[in-house]
Amino acid sequence: MKPLRQSASRGTALRAIPHRPLRLLGGAALALLIAVLIATLFWSILRAAAVQPEGPSRLDIGYLVYITTLQATLSTVLSLIVGIVLAWALNRLRFPGRSLVIGLFASAIVTPGLIVAFGLLAVWGRSGWLSGLAGHPLDLPIFGLGGVVAAHLILDGAFAARILLARLDAIPEARLKTGQSLAMRPWARFSIIDWPAMRGTLPGLAALIFLLAFTSFPIVLLLGGGPSVQTLEVAIYSAVRLDFDLAAAVHLALLQIAICTLIILMSSALAPISSSLDRPVEPRWRDAGATRLWQWLILILSVLGFASPLFAVLVGGLSGLASVLAQPAFWNAVATSLWIGAASAVLALVLALVVAGARAAASSRLARIALSAPAFAYLAVPAVALSLGAFLFVRDLGLAPDAAAPLVVVIANALLSLPFAMATLSPPLDAIARSRGKLIRSLGLSGTRQFLDIEWPLIARDAGLVLALSFCFSLGDLGVIALFGTEHFATLPLQMVRAFGAYRTNDAAAIAALMLVLTIAAFVALPALFERLSRARP
Amino acid sequence: MLALEAVTFAYAASAAYRFTAEAEPGEITAIRGQSGAGKSTLLDLIAGFLVPASGTIRIDGADVTPLPPEQRPVSILFQSETLFEHLSASRNVALGLARPDAARIAAALAEVGLDGIGPQRAATLSGGQKQRVALARTLLRQKPVLLLDEPFSALDDETRETTRALVKSLTLKHKWATLLVTHHADDIAAIADRVYRLENRGLVRER
Repeated sequence: MKPLRQSASRGTALRAIPHRPLRLLGGAALALLIAVLIATLFWSILRAAAVQPEGPSRLDIGYLVYITTLQATLSTVLSLIVGIVLAWALNRLRFPGRSLVIGLFASAIVTPGLIVAFGLLAVWGRSGWLSGLAGHPLDLPIFGLGGVVAAHLILDGAFAARILLARLDAIPEARLKTGQSLAMRPWARFSIIDWPAMRGTLPGLAALIFLLAFTSFPIVLLLGGGPSVQTLEVAIYSAVRLDFDLAAAVHLALLQIAICTLIILMSSALAPISSSLDRPVEPRWRDAGATRLWQWLILILSVLGFASPLFAVLVGGLSGLASVLAQPAFWNAVATSLWIGAASAVLALVLALVVAGARAAASSRLARIALSAPAFAYLAVPAVALSLGAFLFVRDLGLAPDAAAPLVVVIANALLSLPFAMATLSPPLDAIARSRGKLIRSLGLSGTRQFLDIEWPLIARDAGLVLALSFCFSLGDLGVIALFGTEHFATLPLQMVRAFGAYRTNDAAAIAALMLVLTIAAFVALPALFERLSRARP
Repeated sequence: MLALEAVTFAYAASAAYRFTAEAEPGEITAIRGQSGAGKSTLLDLIAGFLVPASGTIRIDGADVTPLPPEQRPVSILFQSETLFEHLSASRNVALGLARPDAARIAAALAEVGLDGIGPQRAATLSGGQKQRVALARTLLRQKPVLLLDEPFSALDDETRETTRALVKSLTLKHKWATLLVTHHADDIAAIADRVYRLENRGLVRER
């Protein structure tokens, strides 16, 4: 074999990570394609804005921005407070079923907002459980700002708690032993040990929650209660589907993208938040007395607050199940949801593997940023805005949106999952390249063997998590399908909203229950399945 | 034979290293020096992770200076992380081979005293066993030079002694030119045939 010469010049350090030119090429090509796609959609929106006649618009954009920002700020602040307090309680308490409770809060990231909104109505609504307990219809402020913020609080508070709990669980044992030996009181322990462990995560977490609340679609659609409480996302949808005011929709989409981009840039949210949800936890130093009572109270209220709407959805779904199961449209929606969810999950996984693999093989910081930036850019593009761009692009090509709908919905859902997929797969792939790169190089392993023997077994569970996240995001998506859905092309969330809008509440409840079961099954089963598959190799 | 002929290397804004040394087949050549003296730099130069500014590295007379790490006739044993813990011992041994052969892998494991341990995951092995598995991998790769980067540091006294003896006997049997980088005087006293000291950014022969 002809020896391969060092490409590095003399007197230089050689890459400790293996040379993978094909990976770099593939990743760069894909990153470019992703960037071109986002630029094309953006261009479609800009082009439409330029040609649309400026008619009198009924939209008060200033008020829309104000109410969206107010809602998102309230949701963020309250979610962080709940997240911090709940993470603190969970970190201290040990009880049978603790892992199950933590898993329940972890599932918040994939629980469709539509289901939580529906569950809130089932518990707090005029004919909900609380009214039943009271014996008469209660007028609780479930519609409007209060309801929207409450739904976001349930989802995002649980999500924040799970992320922050991981930080608290990672506090070094030695630091805790030092605190314990100094007889720190609960407040000193929180401020000196816990707070420093959590505070670094808070800006990124706050930005993410703000983005989620700012771009919230199904929750606001169901609980907003009309034009007084909307998000830009809902206003875009209304402008396109209800008012046929494309010019207004385009302006709103541009405004929304600009604000989201600004938030991302300001908070440096490009730094991925770890999505690893399965850290082992060790029993440690526990608080006593009144503090411990508070922790139990916080935990019980949180579990009730988070689980009761979901439980209400499951129970409420039973009543309409027989009727829904008899409808051919329901089975069509099930089939459509499943294949779209599966296809977009596989696509998101492949995209993330190729781009994250190339990123791990790149030695220059600039190249690493350039490779991953297009994927993370989709954080700034809300589902309805992305869908609008795709809708306009398809129309510009002279295609009927109906014909392109399945392909567009699959691609759009995959792209919307991509930032989360990258945030999940990039850290382990980077770590393998950096910690074992020298050994891999000195053994002369090929790229294929590096992937099959070293990387895949180590990232299989994360790959399963990516599939589960993407599948669940797609399963619960309403933002994309809302613009592309037709009578013959509908997913479960769209079918549910239609049933709800037609006052077929039992049908909507049954569909919500089924979506919840599918979501939980995918979230629990896929990561475990992939881990097992990776271990099955001899 | 491994020969370093006036090999130089400098990191940015620091003085250059200049290494000249020889390691004979069937011998263990020890390199000792304090932390920061340049032990890792020396190993990275021989393994190919650093490219010398000048000078030549020869193995059995051939100039290997231009070869990348994966093509150098060199095996490396690191202090830790020398195995992939999620793989079995056998698969770890097979990693460096173009055509893995189960019988040869089993024989190599037996030669390092780990008969029948092949199916076990590396994560379940002790520190000493891990180093032996890595030595079994070295056996099958048939490279004439073995670089040992503080290989016994993480081992307890008893395991350390038996692993040292194993390295010594394998070096003799397979005529490896073994380079042992260590800051432990007892490792040097126990198995080194020739000793260099890292001093003033160069190598000084002690014996």
